[in-house]
Amino acid sequence: MNCTQAQERFADLLDARRTGPDHAAVRAHLASCPACQREYATLARTLAALDALPAAPPSPALRRNFYAMLEEEKLAAAGRPAAFRRPRPALRSALWRWILAPAAAGTLAIAAFLAGTRYAPPAAAPGLDPATKRELAELRARVDSVGQLVGYSLLQQRSTSERLQGVLATLDRKDPSQKVLSDLIGALALDPSANVRLSALDALYPHANQQLVRSGVLASLPREQNPLVQVAMIDFLVAARDHAAAPELGRMARNETLDRAVRDAAQRGLAQL
Amino acid sequence: MVSFPATDAVDPADATLSDHELMLAVRDGELDALGELFERHHGPLYGFLVKFTGQRTAAEDIVQTVFQRMLKYRHTYRDEGNFTAWMYHLARRCAADHFRKSNAAPAATDPADLQDHADDAPHAGDRAATSDDHALLHTALSRLDRDDREVLLLSRFQELPFAEIAAVLECSVGAAKVRAHRALRELRDTYFQLQQERLT
Repeated sequence: MNCTQAQERFADLLDARRTGPDHAAVRAHLASCPACQREYATLARTLAALDALPAAPPSPALRRNFYAMLEEEKLAAAGRPAAFRRPRPALRSALWRWILAPAAAGTLAIAAFLAGTRYAPPAAAPGLDPATKRELAELRARVDSVGQLVGYSLLQQRSTSERLQGVLATLDRKDPSQKVLSDLIGALALDPSANVRLSALDALYPHANQQLVRSGVLASLPREQNPLVQVAMIDFLVAARDHAAAPELGRMARNETLDRAVRDAAQRGLAQL
Repeated sequence: MVSFPATDAVDPADATLSDHELMLAVRDGELDALGELFERHHGPLYGFLVKFTGQRTAAEDIVQTVFQRMLKYRHTYRDEGNFTAWMYHLARRCAADHFRKSNAAPAATDPADLQDHADDAPHAGDRAATSDDHALLHTALSRLDRDDREVLLLSRFQELPFAEIAAVLECSVGAAKVRAHRALRELRDTYFQLQQERLT
């Protein structure tokens, strides 16, 4: 075997997965040829360096986004009896944009107004017992959340990626306005994309000390259908030590129609609260 | 991390199921099985794409897109299919889309992409000359032709047999081997040259 023939077989020799009878001949040539020894040694060294390159793990967001996407697809698959019967996206989008969204926004606004005039207490209500105060706080939270949903419904015309970017942009704000927080809560409650809802929840974490934020998350929890987002919301409320969430967590822990992981998270949350 | 219960028909966590069996289950509507495929393959796929694109964020985006496309095109997966080859076939297309959109060769890893990860080698063009061997190797990799870099990384990082690499690259086994070895020689030459430059 000459040098050319030997070097043509270096690829197989360097490939640890291959063993073959020809290797003996290549090795015999290598043992007696300093030039081929140098060639082989430098290639082997390069490969060793390549194999030793550190393999950094991906960020946790990759796994989170994957499971959110999978859950979304499962929900979509469960809700669609046959693909060919789905309304065309363009038509559905146009319907929502021009007819349903304004109608829904108007209805919610009227409901918010009526609820506010009927249930909203005076600015100061001294002398009320704690149970009544709690009920009034819940009512306020519901009315607040309705108002936020109305506001957010106006943002539905944008694409998912634009909405996601909009949510992510709020992460840089150290002191976001109430409007920004309301939009984030609106995204958490209403956005059709689980990715956007999860990102909104992430963006709300630094502001979990605000009553508005905790109430918004709690008000959004019963309408959430995605187990991943449900668990994330439960974790949020527990991390925020929001004791007002205890009744809802109790209901979820007992609700056998919910995903097992969600019930477990609610049970754990209850114990921590 | 949240774990979701298995479906009745297929236990996605069943380690005895092959990739092919899991993907067939996904195709037939057992979408949970894709979770197990993700757990098995997203790490190596991500590692391959980080080195191929030179960018961590792009690699994550491409991995996400690959699994999205698996769901979207699951009905096209064939009974006689090879999951790994199919996955890398999708990954190649997604990477090609990425390069087309970014309109730039993956020549330079963005240092900002790597600085938050202590276990990752820093890398950035000329600065690599004063950095460690890992950075030199990243630089050498980035200077390879994209096709050469791809075949070399496929042959080293994923433990794919050359028959599968050839299937992914849509060429003969012999051609895949020749391209991989040529890429290795070019990488060696560039890598050693960079080391010499650093010494001088």
